Amino acid sequence: MAKKDDVSRRQFLNYTLTGVGGFMAAGMLLPMVRFAIDPIMKEGAKQDMVPVVEVSKVTEKPQRFTFEIEQKDGWYESKVTQAAWVYKDKNGDIVALSPICKHLGCTVDWAASPAHPNQFYCPCHGGRYEKDGTNIKGTPPLAPLDVYKKEVKDGKLYLGQAVPQ
Amino acid sequence: MKWRSEDMDLYLQSTEYVDTAIVPLIPIAWGNQLKHTVLKGEFPLIVSEELERQLKGRVVLFPTLSYLTSESDVDIISRLLALKDELSENGIPHIVFVSSDARWSDVDELRADLINIPPVPLEHMEDEYRRDVIGEQVKHLLQIVTKKWQNTKLGE
Ligand code: FES
Repeated sequence: MAKKDDVSRRQFLNYTLTGVGGFMAAGMLLPMVRFAIDPIMKEGAKQDMVPVVEVSKVTEKPQRFTFEIEQKDGWYESKVTQAAWVYKDKNGDIVALSPICKHLGCTVDWAASPAHPNQFYCPCHGGRYEKDGTNIKGTPPLAPLDVYKKEVKDGKLYLGQAVPQ
Repeated sequence: MKWRSEDMDLYLQSTEYVDTAIVPLIPIAWGNQLKHTVLKGEFPLIVSEELERQLKGRVVLFPTLSYLTSESDVDIISRLLALKDELSENGIPHIVFVSSDARWSDVDELRADLINIPPVPLEHMEDEYRRDVIGEQVKHLLQIVTKKWQNTKLGE
């Protein structure tokens, strides 16, 4: 009886130590593993290209198109609607600009200021940008509008992340 | 800007550019007409959130101001006006209450600061249609708010 008890106690200790050791090992290893494969995970987390509009609908005049992406806000994932100003430039290349003002983040509008019909206009503090997104000196924004990464596939325009110009 | 510490850091760095508070009004009741009551708060909240997204750099979206439907008009109005005073004494001259409660559509004390929007039941709508409905309403609010701004030049 006593012997049996002994064994089970030893076993118990064994298990426990293995358990604790295992935990410790895992605690040390996991970050290392994660570190090693992090680039892969990041790759997966990168925003996918989303179909936005048929290329044939893109005109020389900037038009506003919206599309949905998954966004992580802290621990909360949700679908967010994003917008892009899309047009064809003189060479026929498609340009897709982010509507987020580089000053404090309001949404800019094309030709919304009667005095400046060929510019993007920010309703908040009168920030203005050229058609290609260049910020106009003397207005609050200090950088050009971001451009979306883009791709054309099967006659459709796909947009990805917006990146600074 | 939203009601969170991160955005307040941004505010504190750019106080001279921010002059407007958006405050959704939400009636609360339990029991009779529950769904109807919820509806009256749901739409103003969604529209306010979208408005904040468009005007992020100049407005602060406040936590909703809620009231029991059984509270008296006088009590509720005095609470709203107290908030308005608090803000205007502290650098936020414009306040926009967004409401779908017909109760406030004709109150003199609130007329200048309250935007009444019709409550729209969004629950059975197609995504695209829903987006249009919200978009239309937001556009309407944008016009009202930017009009308020026309006489105030900020940061210039
Ligand atoms: S946020 Fe656009 S000009 Fe200030």
